[in-house]
Amino acid sequence: MKLLKRIIFCLYYKEGFFHLSRNFKLQRVGDVDWLIKNFGFGNTANNIDELIILLVKKNPTEKDFGSFAFDISELRKNIFIPITLGGGIRNAKIAKSFFDNGADKILINSVAYNNKEVIYEIASEYGNQAISVMIDHKKNNNETNLYSECGTKLEKISLQQHLENLSRLSCGEIIINSIDNDGNGSGIDLKILNSINITIGKPILIMGGAGKPEHLSTALSSKKISGVITANLFNFLGEGLKLARNFALKKNIPLAEF
Amino acid sequence: MIKKNAKVCIVDYGFGNIASIENALNYLKFDYNTLKISVDLSNFSHLILPGVGSFEAGINKLRKSGWESKIKDFVKNGGYLYGICLGMQLLFKYGTNEKTGKVIEGLGFLDGTCKKFFETNETNMPPLPHVGFNQVKHKNTKIWEGINNPSYFYFIHSYRVAYAESLTNCAKTSYGEEFISFVEKFKIFGSQFHPEKSHLTGLNLLRNFFNLK
Repeated sequence: MKLLKRIIFCLYYKEGFFHLSRNFKLQRVGDVDWLIKNFGFGNTANNIDELIILLVKKNPTEKDFGSFAFDISELRKNIFIPITLGGGIRNAKIAKSFFDNGADKILINSVAYNNKEVIYEIASEYGNQAISVMIDHKKNNNETNLYSECGTKLEKISLQQHLENLSRLSCGEIIINSIDNDGNGSGIDLKILNSINITIGKPILIMGGAGKPEHLSTALSSKKISGVITANLFNFLGEGLKLARNFALKKNIPLAEF
Repeated sequence: MIKKNAKVCIVDYGFGNIASIENALNYLKFDYNTLKISVDLSNFSHLILPGVGSFEAGINKLRKSGWESKIKDFVKNGGYLYGICLGMQLLFKYGTNEKTGKVIEGLGFLDGTCKKFFETNETNMPPLPHVGFNQVKHKNTKIWEGINNPSYFYFIHSYRVAYAESLTNCAKTSYGEEFISFVEKFKIFGSQFHPEKSHLTGLNLLRNFFNLK
């Protein structure tokens, strides 16, 4: 039997509102009620494998975490699919508060570069599978650079080296996200997969640039990835995700049928 | 709002996504209590044993907090038990600590051993953890009423039941190998997958479980 692939939707959250992101610049679009009313969010979830919700704010405060938790608990009432929560996780205590708020997995990014201890601490409590790592990358003069802190801090490590380090850490899957393609809807950068030697034994997901059903299917047909993620609210919410899923199934992409 | 007959208890021993299970029960409109401290369970008809994480940590916590004997009494008195993910693995006799190689004793309702994927050391095995929806082929027993066969459920795990007594009503899934994804023996049920995370199909399975009497 073929291994099934996944289509995952990602929501960006900041200060009470969901946002569109383009090259990591945020544009406010609406709050939880808006999302539920306009997009029937509970129903939309019927067409995706998982949902990721990220608090996209540099150095979030207690207040930021609080409003995030409150709005998430509203949103997830009618959603019965796996939820990954992330953003601003610096220590196991913040991770725990995300798990307590219904996260099946938490997502880390910045902390994966410099604090292995935190990853071990979270994994010893919740297991490796509960920790996803996101890697944000951007091209500068044809060289792929990695960034942390919401795309603001350049990390002096190559993608290949970072992946090799992660393969030895107690984390689950890895998300490779393109800052250049973020929100531009022009297609997913699959070339990045050729530049790395993936023998790390962990699921790899790819994100950034999906604008239409074809983009998702093309990415999903790559043997190297387990799934594709889009945060493109307007292109895929409503009927969009259903169409994209059916399109991929027609292209013989192995996906679960709900 | 009229609540249904079952009196459900969710065992909150610090492992597993309690909020999601509560969400599902709210949606299905069943009466439930989430208990952090082990008590006599004779007032309940159905018990949910959740769990995410390691076998050893999970069973130690159940023992230390006094849940083990309460759950065993509950089963002895004819209650319906459903273990989810690690909660299903704990229903078996043995688990393994991969690092130390130590064999750990579980609740022992079912004969079998939990170990990490895979049996072989071949390099072309699929990545771990096993994450995502996968196909479950079931035996159309009462709990599966109205649910397609096969149907899709959400998995997230690196360990599975490696050897077990022959369980006629178990369901299987393949991921690099065929493994037991659901067990059923008398009033004891368990799934390696998460029904509370598996769309309407998962909710239907849970509803069927709570309706068993």
